[in-house]
Amino acid sequence: MWTRKASFTFAGGISLILIGMMISNHQMMILGLSFVAFIVANSWISGHGDVEVQRTLSADNLYKGDDLYVELLVTNRSSRRTQTLEVYDNVPHEMKLRSGLNQMKMNLGPGESARIRYVLRCPLRGHFSIGPVSLRYRNTFNLSVEEMFVDHHSDMIVFPQLRDVEEAFIRSRTPKMYTGATTLRTPGPGTEFYSLREYVPGDPFKNINWKAFARTGDLMINEKCRDAVTDLYIILDSRDIARIGTVLKNPLEMGTVAAASLANFFLQRRDSVSLIIYDEKLSYLPPDTGDKQHFKILSSLAGVAPKGAMPLQAVTNSLAARFSRGSPIFIISSCEGDGTVPAAIRDLVGRGHEVTVLSPSSIDFERLVSRIPRMSYEVLKIERQNRMTSLAGFGSQVIDWMPDMDLSQALLQVRGY
Amino acid sequence: MAGEVSPQEEGNRTLHLRTLRKQWQIITLQVIATVALVWMYMEIVSTYVVGSIDHTILFRMLEAEIGSKLPVGDWLTGLDQEGVASYYVPIGVGLTIGGGMSLLAFQPPKRQQKIKLGFVIGLILILAGRFVMSYIWQLWDEGWTIPDDSALGTLEWPLLMILSMVILMFYLLPVIMGTRGIWGLSRKGVAWCIGFVLLFLAIHAILSFPVVKAQLGGYGDKLATLDVLVGAPTVGFLGMNLVTEQQFSLIMIACLIMIFQESAFGVIRQLEYAFRLPESCKRDPEYVKQVDNVLNGHLRHTVIFLTITTLSTMVALGFHSVLLEFVEGVTGSQWAAQVSESIELTLTYGLVISALLFLGLMAVLRFFVPWQRLWGLIETSLNRS
Repeated sequence: MWTRKASFTFAGGISLILIGMMISNHQMMILGLSFVAFIVANSWISGHGDVEVQRTLSADNLYKGDDLYVELLVTNRSSRRTQTLEVYDNVPHEMKLRSGLNQMKMNLGPGESARIRYVLRCPLRGHFSIGPVSLRYRNTFNLSVEEMFVDHHSDMIVFPQLRDVEEAFIRSRTPKMYTGATTLRTPGPGTEFYSLREYVPGDPFKNINWKAFARTGDLMINEKCRDAVTDLYIILDSRDIARIGTVLKNPLEMGTVAAASLANFFLQRRDSVSLIIYDEKLSYLPPDTGDKQHFKILSSLAGVAPKGAMPLQAVTNSLAARFSRGSPIFIISSCEGDGTVPAAIRDLVGRGHEVTVLSPSSIDFERLVSRIPRMSYEVLKIERQNRMTSLAGFGSQVIDWMPDMDLSQALLQVRGY
Repeated sequence: MAGEVSPQEEGNRTLHLRTLRKQWQIITLQVIATVALVWMYMEIVSTYVVGSIDHTILFRMLEAEIGSKLPVGDWLTGLDQEGVASYYVPIGVGLTIGGGMSLLAFQPPKRQQKIKLGFVIGLILILAGRFVMSYIWQLWDEGWTIPDDSALGTLEWPLLMILSMVILMFYLLPVIMGTRGIWGLSRKGVAWCIGFVLLFLAIHAILSFPVVKAQLGGYGDKLATLDVLVGAPTVGFLGMNLVTEQQFSLIMIACLIMIFQESAFGVIRQLEYAFRLPESCKRDPEYVKQVDNVLNGHLRHTVIFLTITTLSTMVALGFHSVLLEFVEGVTGSQWAAQVSESIELTLTYGLVISALLFLGLMAVLRFFVPWQRLWGLIETSLNRS
């Protein structure tokens, strides 16, 4: 496509020729002809975006606030020069360029390569994709421009940050409640070796002891000691109201950090953790243990976005049958705009669950973005305090989580109720 | 895809302006631009100005009016030379002033301020220093009186000198602004230079238009006109004579304007790009290599495409003779004579149409000649060997 300069040069050339003919001025005619000849000569050259692009990331999954190293290798596989090519790697706008640059002006000969290296800071959790790669050929004299792109994407997940919560729980009111996996001296699902036994049809192949098979000629199975684990349920409020505050500091962001940290803590103790997210619909991740579950939980939390207004009681009613008897439940919610919270908690406590409500203070988050008159703030704060006290009155442990408070610090408050 | 990603490397060469300004490609482009500027100026002067409206005529008129020599030396104004030679020293002065202005632009602001202040003070001292001293002496002797003739006479020399310099600078404005633009990396400087040249050509075209020229009377007779399209071509290449000397001179003016413009703007554009890169990229050998590639490409294209432009304009202007030969070959000489008349006697229309026809053919030819691919294959085989 012609640039404005090319259009002006061509139009100017034609105009000069015409004016020159009109007033019989040969300099004008020749100047005009030269301009047209310049455009024509330059039309003989054109760049191309027939390049091979390969992007390497330092990690596919990383935690919020981490740095991501990116390398983009651009290779000209064609048999002609690319000419002046501006290469721009499209990065999500949520990410910040920390060092280097995601663009380069290059002129690659046949078979030549160039590497663009840069570092991105990922300040927000989520599922992101780097790419496509935009290419712009620009004529040396800026007479023509052609926009192209290479549809090459690199997907990545930015998990919520993990905070250390162990210390807080050791000091909690019920220190023996979450002891983690306890090994029992009976065969069953677990991690520690118990004994060898003969293979029975239906046994998973991964449990076959191949060395024993080679030695004895019979298929033998590794039996493990049964681990007694606690099923733990984390319920995260992701309703639209959870977006109150700034992009980086809002109840949902703090909630995801808390959920990820708690899940990490319990999974490390080999407990079984389930994650329930409710917004406009309910998403339920059944309880499980291990790294795979950890990854599933972090992936789910990375993709959480505030939307909808599902009441908590609808969640607890629909999942009540799935909750293991007496299992601890963590509810991470600001408890705002939902009148069913007390009833839902009362029901859960009534069914014998150990309920802990971790409630980011939405009024204080709102103060970060808008000015609330002191009197109104005081009234709203008292209302919230009453709500928290009433929840505690139903037998749950309630934590009022302020924006400037660290998670472990907040969890220490559990003794106060 | 996750993998091992090494951080940006640091090489010996960097893309800092201090280094880049000394790089041979940049210097070459700047030299090309300067040569084009001087050559273009000389072509314009020799075609339109010398013997018609040149500065020596004006200086001689001034000297005749005041009845004495101007305070500026003849060697400086070129009054001691004839023809184009009278511009050699003034162009040197213009280049020096333009270069000085560029040098000044790269000084720290405080030093710039000091130099400018010194210049203004010096100018005031030259202009009024002697006058003030002699007037104060007169006041001391005679009390409160108006300045007498001897005091006022001290103003004559500085005023005439400044007037001479102003006239000289006016003539040299394109050279000064152009040099300032090229070496001082000023887009404005380059634009002003091209603007002056085009403005001059436009004013000259209007003034030399027969109707306007007739109104100018005796003054108009001195204007150089270019009624020389018809004539035996003497300039060409590959053994073909395509254009007349004067046509070639006009083509050179047009092409040199473009060479000057593209080289000067090219340098500024590439240095701007390098300047805007973050510090880590300026040290990265990959960026350094690609800037080299881009600059080499720019240099290659400047030489190749502007030469092609010049040659194709020449061929385009001589294309009517090719057509004539073709018509003569196909239809016989009687037809050719008629076509020749229609092309040459009408002077412009046939010539321009045949020139545009050639350029049209040239534009279409790109679809049939895969020269970029051919050149790429040559480049690949050269790299392999």
